[in-house]
Amino acid sequence: MDARPNAMTKAIVVRNLCVDFTRDDGGRVRALNNVSVAIAQGEFICVVGRSGHGKTTLLNVIGGLLGRYEGEVYALGKKVTGPGIDRGVIFQRDAVFPWMRVEDNVAFGLRVAGIPKSERARIAREHLDMVGLGDVKRAWPRELSGGMRARVAVAGVFASDPPILLADEPFGALDYVTRRQLQEVLFQLWQRTQKTVLFVTHDVDEALRLGSRVIVISNGAIVEDQHVDLPPPRTDDDLATPRSLELKHLLLRHIGLE
Amino acid sequence: MTADDVSAAVGRRGKRTLRTRDLGDALTAPAGVVLFLLVWTAVASRLPPSRLVSPWAVAIDLWNNFLRSPRMAVFGLGETGYGELLLYTARNVLIGFAVGSAIGIIIGIASARFRLLRIIIDPIVLVLGTVPVLVAAPLFLLWFGVVPFTQVLLVAGYSAIMMEIFSQAAADNVDPVYEKSAMTRGASWYQRLRFILIPGVAPEILGGLRITLASAWGLETFAEILGAPSGIGQAIKTLTNVNNVAGMLACVSLVAIVAIAADMLLVVTNRHITRWA
Repeated sequence: MDARPNAMTKAIVVRNLCVDFTRDDGGRVRALNNVSVAIAQGEFICVVGRSGHGKTTLLNVIGGLLGRYEGEVYALGKKVTGPGIDRGVIFQRDAVFPWMRVEDNVAFGLRVAGIPKSERARIAREHLDMVGLGDVKRAWPRELSGGMRARVAVAGVFASDPPILLADEPFGALDYVTRRQLQEVLFQLWQRTQKTVLFVTHDVDEALRLGSRVIVISNGAIVEDQHVDLPPPRTDDDLATPRSLELKHLLLRHIGLE
Repeated sequence: MTADDVSAAVGRRGKRTLRTRDLGDALTAPAGVVLFLLVWTAVASRLPPSRLVSPWAVAIDLWNNFLRSPRMAVFGLGETGYGELLLYTARNVLIGFAVGSAIGIIIGIASARFRLLRIIIDPIVLVLGTVPVLVAAPLFLLWFGVVPFTQVLLVAGYSAIMMEIFSQAAADNVDPVYEKSAMTRGASWYQRLRFILIPGVAPEILGGLRITLASAWGLETFAEILGAPSGIGQAIKTLTNVNNVAGMLACVSLVAIVAIAADMLLVVTNRHITRWA
């Protein structure tokens, strides 16, 4: 790992990041401990680890959703001080606005940016087609399944066209088949747009299927940082090769399962 | 992917079910009214007219006194009828309800987002909210006199308190993930208020408005009974003094009809605004 990465050439640079939380009883918990990582532009990096070990905290700091931290965090060369349109976030929980029709949800980022109505309708339509929801653009979110709402969330973030995409276990609550379909949709969109993606997941198979690099966080520290040298897109057969299984065992060992 | 098929099917089935249900509701609602009137008639037939009169007698009294009621002039309410008295009551209710609710909603939402304001506001609302109207109404009369402003202020005050509580709870209940999502997509403070917070609190606030408006009619009528230059409450007080049961029930029915009509208007508005829910 590059200990002193250049903040100007990397999409995301995190140096010596420490995050503490205060418990209800006044005690302090260290969620991230001296984390340093650099992510190149166009890289698809997956962050794996057990629940409560700091994955989401790292994503929240990079996303600007967590203000109090020690260390340095840069996105596209700028110090992260809050949320920004350069970093789109797909949340773990359903964040599709129930009071907006599907196309308005997708076009929300464009609307607040002042893009004319006809233009944002065109972009929304285009992105809904990409995720296979072109025919339900006028539907309310309550009329959609969980998987369809996840597609809306993906389309909404890509429609806003941020150079960096942060995804916090976005498909964790979905059934296996829907999750696989959405992984494919996300991977295709990434291949088409070459955005920098930081994808948090607790699923090692998902990380190996999608990531060009996988880091493991355990007890608030990065304990493994692996480039996945398997050519994408990765099929089930690709994930059953000796090299893939070797990587999987390595990651699981660092997570603490083997 | 069959998303379109699924959604279209769900949409069609949803609409059909809604229409059938609406039709059922529309047929059932008058049946309830008819049942109530039948029970009322049956009970009235067993009681002397000095205790309870039939719905028919109430309707006749309403018809005869709606535009002009000689009784009202005798008891110092001028050349007037139930209709004009009702207008006075309705005007006070609507002004008090509108002003009070607006203040309550603004403070409620603001206090849910600004901790310092909440710390200051919550104890005040708690104290004012526990003051019974039986105590507040005579005090208001003492302070402001027998003028319409007194009743408007009472309605506005209680509406503000109720709506502050409803609005604060509504804003607390909006999932923070929506505001976070809007922030990451570049929404400004004003845009988050307009596109996220206001639609997010709408269902709970509209429900609160219905309860507050229903209470406002009772508050206004009560305040008028205690002392007012006009209004349906004054008519009820006058008719009570002469033991005119038909007139009293006519006035009460009139307020009830207008209150129900106003509530139905709110329900229709509510359905339109929260059609996504």
